[in-house]
Amino acid sequence: MSEIGNIPVTTGNDKKRSNPLANVFDELIRFCQARSMFMLHYCTGCGAIELPPAMTSRFDMERLGIQPMVTPRQADILLVTGYVSVKTLKRVILTYEQMQSPKYVIGICSCTVNGGMYWQSYATAKILNEYMPVDVYIAGCMPRPEAVISGLRRLMGNIENGKANGWKDYYQRYDYYLGNQQHLFGDDWQTPTDIIGEANFYDLKGDETCGEHTKILEQHQVPLEPLPMQIKF
Amino acid sequence: MRPENYQAVSLPCSNEYELFIGPNHPGIEGNYAFKLKLDGDRVLSGKADAGYLHRGFEKLMEGRLWIQNLAIVPRICVPDPVPMEVVYSLSVEAIENTEVPERAQWIRVMQLELSRVASHLFTFGGHAATTGMYTPSFWGVADRDLALDLFEELTGGRVYHIYNIPGGVRRDIPDGFLDRLSQYLDYLESRQNDYDNLLFTNLVFVKRARDIGCLNQENALEWGVTGPNLRATGLAFDVRRDDPYLIYDKLDFDIPVQTAGDCLARILVRRDELFQSVRILRQIIKHLPSVKGPVRTPIPNPLAWNVKAGESYSRVESSKGELAYYTVSDGGDMPYRVHVRGPSSMHAVQVLENMSVGERIEDIAQIMFSLDACPPEVDR
Ligand code: SF4
Repeated sequence: MSEIGNIPVTTGNDKKRSNPLANVFDELIRFCQARSMFMLHYCTGCGAIELPPAMTSRFDMERLGIQPMVTPRQADILLVTGYVSVKTLKRVILTYEQMQSPKYVIGICSCTVNGGMYWQSYATAKILNEYMPVDVYIAGCMPRPEAVISGLRRLMGNIENGKANGWKDYYQRYDYYLGNQQHLFGDDWQTPTDIIGEANFYDLKGDETCGEHTKILEQHQVPLEPLPMQIKF
Repeated sequence: MRPENYQAVSLPCSNEYELFIGPNHPGIEGNYAFKLKLDGDRVLSGKADAGYLHRGFEKLMEGRLWIQNLAIVPRICVPDPVPMEVVYSLSVEAIENTEVPERAQWIRVMQLELSRVASHLFTFGGHAATTGMYTPSFWGVADRDLALDLFEELTGGRVYHIYNIPGGVRRDIPDGFLDRLSQYLDYLESRQNDYDNLLFTNLVFVKRARDIGCLNQENALEWGVTGPNLRATGLAFDVRRDDPYLIYDKLDFDIPVQTAGDCLARILVRRDELFQSVRILRQIIKHLPSVKGPVRTPIPNPLAWNVKAGESYSRVESSKGELAYYTVSDGGDMPYRVHVRGPSSMHAVQVLENMSVGERIEDIAQIMFSLDACPPEVDR
C-alpha cells in the first residue's frame, strides 16, 4: 500500500508496482479522469428536470468538462435522478454493470437517500446504496442546479484524491449487493455481465465477492462457452 | 438470461425486426419505453411500455391527510406542476363548498399561465432537439429559467412550489413582483422574432415536421385527445373557455387552432398559446392591484380536518391537455379515493401506438415529443 499525502492509495496489486514513477502516473491519470467526466443521460425520476438547466447556458457544467453521453459504454458517471421504481431499478443495474470501470454513481434527490416522500410506496426501491455503491449523494427535493454542480465538484475532488472507490466496492462486496437485488427481484435474477470474472480481471476479488447469493446465481447460470456458429443458406 | 444461453430459433427470411426505444433515451421525454416492430425503416406496429415511474400515487394519497397530499401532487407532472396543485385544491373546495377570495383566484391564474409559459418553452427545446437542432433547446431552457426565478421569488421553490392550498394561496405576492413579471414578458416578446427565425419558420425544421404523425379530428375525439394536440386538428376546445374555472371568464384571449394535425401544427399551436398566455398575464398585471382582500379563507386545524362526505370532478387545462381529479371523501381526515386523469395517459399510449404505424424510424422520436406527453402522468 502506498500513500500520497496522508491518503492511502489502494491499487490492484502492490507487488507489481516497483517503478518509482508509478504514483506520479497514478496522480496524472486521476487528474485526467476528474476533468473529463461523461455522464450517462438516463432520466430515472423527477429530479432529472433540473439537469437541463444545469447543463445549459445558465449554470453550464461543460466548463467543468462534464458532458451528457447517451450510451453507458462511453460514460463515467451514472446519475440516478430521483426515485427508482422496481421496474426502473433493474434497468439501472443493467446499465451500471455495462459501464466501464472506473465508474461512479451519484444519487441526486432525497428519494435515493432513504425513499424520500415515497417511503410508504409499494413500488419504489428505497435506499439506493443497497443495490449499487453510491459515491456522492445530493439531498434535496429537488436539489437546485447549483447543488448538482457542487456535488459533481465534490466527486471531482474525490476522484483526484483517490477516494471515489465505489466501483471497487461493487467487485469486492458483490455478494452483498447481489443478495439485496435477489431479495427484491426474486432468486432467478441475473444480468448478462460476468461480475466475478471482471473482479478477477481487475484483481479485486475479495472475501465477499462470492458467497451464498452468488451460489444461487450459479445454479441457473451456465458457464461461459463459445457457441458453435453455423450459417445456413 | 445470458446471451450465450439463448436457443436459436429458425424463422423464415424476412426484413422484420424489433427495436426497443428507451427507457434510457438521449432525449428529455423521460423514463418511458416504446417497442417497435419494423420492416426496413417502416414501422409495422408499436407498443408502449410505461410503468417505470409508477409510485402508487393514488394509493399513497389515501394514507395521508388532506393537507399532506398537497406536498405530493405536484410530482405527478414534473415540467408543469402548478395545475396539479390548483386542481387538487379546486376539487377539495368543490366538496367543501369553500368560497375562494377573488385575489387568490387572480394569483392562481397568474401562476397557471406562468407555468404554461415555462412548460411550452421546455417543449420547444426538446422538440427541436429531436430533429437535431440544439440551439433552441439551450434557448428554451435558459428562458424558462427566468420564469423559474419569478416562481422562486413568489413561492420559494424553483420547480415544486407548494403554494396553492384549499381555500386560496399561501401568501400574497411580494412587492414589485408584477413589475418584474412585466419585464419578463417584454423580454419574451422581444425573443419572438428570434424563435421564429431559428425554429418555427426554419426550412430544415418545417420540412422535417410537416406531414409527420398526422391525426384527424375524428380519431382524436375517439381516442380522448385533449389540449394542444386536439386543437392542432382543427377543433377549438379549451376548458378555460368552454367550462371556465377561477376567473378565466373575465379574461380576453383567443384559442389558437391549426387544421393540419401533424407535428408542425402541434408545435405551432403551442407557439401561439405561449403568446396568448403572455396576453393573459398582461391583463392580470393590469387588474391584480385593484383586486383587494385576503388571499385565503381560513381552513380548520389541518391536522384534524374532516372534509365533508361527497365527491367532485374538477378539471383544468394544463399545458398538456385536460387534467382532472376525481376525489371522493367519506367524511374522514384522509381522501377515500383520488383518481388522476392525466392527459398524457391517452397521448403516450393509444395515440402514439396508433399514430406511429406506417411512419419512418427517424421520425418516431419527433412524434413522441410532439405529443408532449409527460410519463409520470401516465404511471402516476
Ligand atoms: S426527492 Fe423529490 S424531486 Fe427528487 S425524485 Fe424524490 S420526489 Fe422527486
